[in-house]
Amino acid sequence: MLSQEKMKRISKFDRPMLDTPITVRVIFQKTGNLQYFSHLDLQRTWQRVLVRASIPMWYTQGFNPHSKIVFGVPLPVGSEGMEEMVDLRIDREITCDEIKNQLNAELTSEMAVSEVYVPETTYMQIAWGVYEITVKTPGDTTANAAAIHELFNVATAPILMTKRSKSGDKEVDIRSMIHAVKATADCNGLIHIRATLRAGNTENLNPEYLIKAVRERLGLIPENAPADEVWYRILRIGFHDEKGVTTGKWFR
Amino acid sequence: MNQNEKRMLLTSVSRPGRYAGGEYGQVIKDKGAVKARFAFAFPDSYEIGMSNLGIRILYHCLNQHDDIWCERVYAPWMDMQEKMKATGTPLTALESGDALTDFDFVGFTLQYEMCYTTVLNMLGLAGIPLRSADRDEDAPLVIGGGPCSYNPEPIADFFDLFNIGEGEEMLPEIVRLYIQMKEEGRYTRAAFLHEAARTIEGVYVPSLYTVTYKEDGTIEAYTPIYDDIPTKVRKRIVEDLDKAPFPERVVMPYIETVQDRITVEAARGCIRGCRFCQAGMVYRPVREKSAAVVDCQARAIFDNSGYEEMSLASLSISDHTEIDEMTDRLLAWTNPNMVSLSLPSLRADSFTKELMDKVASIRNSTITFAPEAGSQRLRDVINKNLYEEDLMRAVGVAFEAGKNQVKLYFMQGHPTETDEDLAEIPELAHRVVNAYYQNPNRQKGSRPPQVTISVSPFIPKPFTPFQWEAQDTLEEMKRKQEYVGSCNRDRKVKYNHHDAEVCHIEAVLARGDRRLGRALEEACHRGFAFDAWSEYFNYQNWLSVFADTGIDPAYYANRAWGLDEVLPWDVIDCGVTKTFLLRERESAYQNTTTPNCREQCSGCGANKLGGVRSCCPKKK
Repeated sequence: MLSQEKMKRISKFDRPMLDTPITVRVIFQKTGNLQYFSHLDLQRTWQRVLVRASIPMWYTQGFNPHSKIVFGVPLPVGSEGMEEMVDLRIDREITCDEIKNQLNAELTSEMAVSEVYVPETTYMQIAWGVYEITVKTPGDTTANAAAIHELFNVATAPILMTKRSKSGDKEVDIRSMIHAVKATADCNGLIHIRATLRAGNTENLNPEYLIKAVRERLGLIPENAPADEVWYRILRIGFHDEKGVTTGKWFR
Repeated sequence: MNQNEKRMLLTSVSRPGRYAGGEYGQVIKDKGAVKARFAFAFPDSYEIGMSNLGIRILYHCLNQHDDIWCERVYAPWMDMQEKMKATGTPLTALESGDALTDFDFVGFTLQYEMCYTTVLNMLGLAGIPLRSADRDEDAPLVIGGGPCSYNPEPIADFFDLFNIGEGEEMLPEIVRLYIQMKEEGRYTRAAFLHEAARTIEGVYVPSLYTVTYKEDGTIEAYTPIYDDIPTKVRKRIVEDLDKAPFPERVVMPYIETVQDRITVEAARGCIRGCRFCQAGMVYRPVREKSAAVVDCQARAIFDNSGYEEMSLASLSISDHTEIDEMTDRLLAWTNPNMVSLSLPSLRADSFTKELMDKVASIRNSTITFAPEAGSQRLRDVINKNLYEEDLMRAVGVAFEAGKNQVKLYFMQGHPTETDEDLAEIPELAHRVVNAYYQNPNRQKGSRPPQVTISVSPFIPKPFTPFQWEAQDTLEEMKRKQEYVGSCNRDRKVKYNHHDAEVCHIEAVLARGDRRLGRALEEACHRGFAFDAWSEYFNYQNWLSVFADTGIDPAYYANRAWGLDEVLPWDVIDCGVTKTFLLRERESAYQNTTTPNCREQCSGCGANKLGGVRSCCPKKK
């Protein structure tokens, strides 16, 4: 039968209606195994999570009623995210804490919700995404890190790459979509790249292009190398707006 | 495989979500603390396997035991298989990521014959020897169950043990016996298999039975090598479906699967007894789950899944004695929660306006029925017990409710079939089109009607009254397919047919015996897999495997088998007796129908197995 938490939880039908629906923002992870699922998979999953968590979603009033959920910037398959965003439209009284707790009861830790709040910003204000990329390469890690740092900070020649879009492939200089890249080596033989890249609806740079640039320009991170010698992982840690406040929880 | 290696592998293949695991609802245990590890293997893609209700049930039955950990494994798609071979990565289970060789049991569910090559393919990817005789003491026990285990002989050489019948009770018993023998220090592979065959009803250990053949190639006898194991293995059933274990928590796939919905089984078995239908025979006796229990289980799954669709599983849902109460109870909560309810396999003769008004599918303009044969004579031969008036009344109800597309399923190649019978298929569809135009109450303004007829070749299946019949030769199947098409003169009737070549191979495997093992082994060596997928099935390659291993496919598929012949599946007792099947076959040749189980008992023999709410007038 139903779990104890569910028995205690208030059914959405027992909550009083709001005069007008309101929007809340949910900050959640998409880490570990979740990196292998597409944005479409994530959308479908959220629809079901919201139902089983009994979140009082507002439904469109049409022939085919559906709840209204809007995601921030989609994460590419193969990247993880610490502060992914989804806005929900709800039509009954419920606190942000209740939403957070009811959701977390229905989620694995790889998709855990860290915060729920009433947003003061819109996704339109997102300008940059901040990524932490960890790379394992063979050879001198310090020299490799320096070479990566130089490629994005000292060299001035354009980094032309073929970018795929709905309107077809086109050559772009990805430098214009990079705000900052910092590469350092640690004592465990790993390279850490902190990159701030264009993110949002108008222009978006997939962090895989950085990897590709390193592969093509520097010969590091070769494809088809043994996975214990060469690997990388990408974690998006947050966003900021055009003014460039560093990262984290500013995006209210 | 560590997380970095997993990432590099998974980001190099299509649809990596198939291999990720980590779904909400999966069961994770401490592998050091459990006494037996069971890998439940589905020999097809993740998307197909995750939709299977049987696996959901048995995953739950095994994981209910604290000291047993059951995990899932699906067949990697071909692009993944190439990467696995290139990187030396073995087949692993989703929950732990451990190789199948680390498990005590690898259990395959055998849903259709065309998955046999994928079974062997998966064993190969796992590094488990294909033949049970070649496995050493440390290798996992490879066991099988599901519909195809009613004739497991073609794959008998590759399995240590088969479950015959329903697994809810039997499968945990098998694993418990294993744990017990290990703890008592008397476990050896051979001792365990003998003990399981001796003490657990429904267990068939093929290596404990020798098969001898006559000079003409037919089977002479099955002989058990021990005198304390059954000469015929009797199918297990779960007597009371209301009390049978049922998972109220579902492993929720992140990627889209074939059936993303709440599925609750409402009944097992079918009262009808169509003479070609294996499911209608081997799942007897009919047992119903009560409306209240179906409702309660469905509600719990909804609360734990958030699915927006629900469906009831049953061979013939409209025959359920409590169908009205059941749908009323379900609709009371599915409607306010915006869950749409659908009912599969509706029979035209029990399709009513009341029932149709209840089931959502408002957005769906198609309704499906299965007359199975075009002429009344042939419908009587196959015991469909369906009249044209029933069909016309049913489509009339559908047209009046605004539906304008009708799908009709038929078969070709039934015993006694003539070209006149075949010509009746498009004729019947044509009369359905006419019925639309002649219906004064049809909803106006909708698009013109379309009737789709889908015709599949007949495949003789074990434990049916037609198990002895010959399948049409490939040439005849194709001629009939063309003939049906040439008889179709209505542009509003769309005609589809099945791949005859697949049906021919399926017939060989369905009635196969142990001698097919060498052909399947050779097929595996030649890289066969995913033969249920048209993009991988290659008929010529099958013929050359048969030719090179000395197998005559016509012997199995196109031969009318002798009524006194020893059949490969005679070693199994599925409840229904051979006497009954012979009687039914005789009735077919006399164009005589048999009443359904509720009207009158026809003495099929399955009631000896027991069963609660079994709808059998003889059993009380």
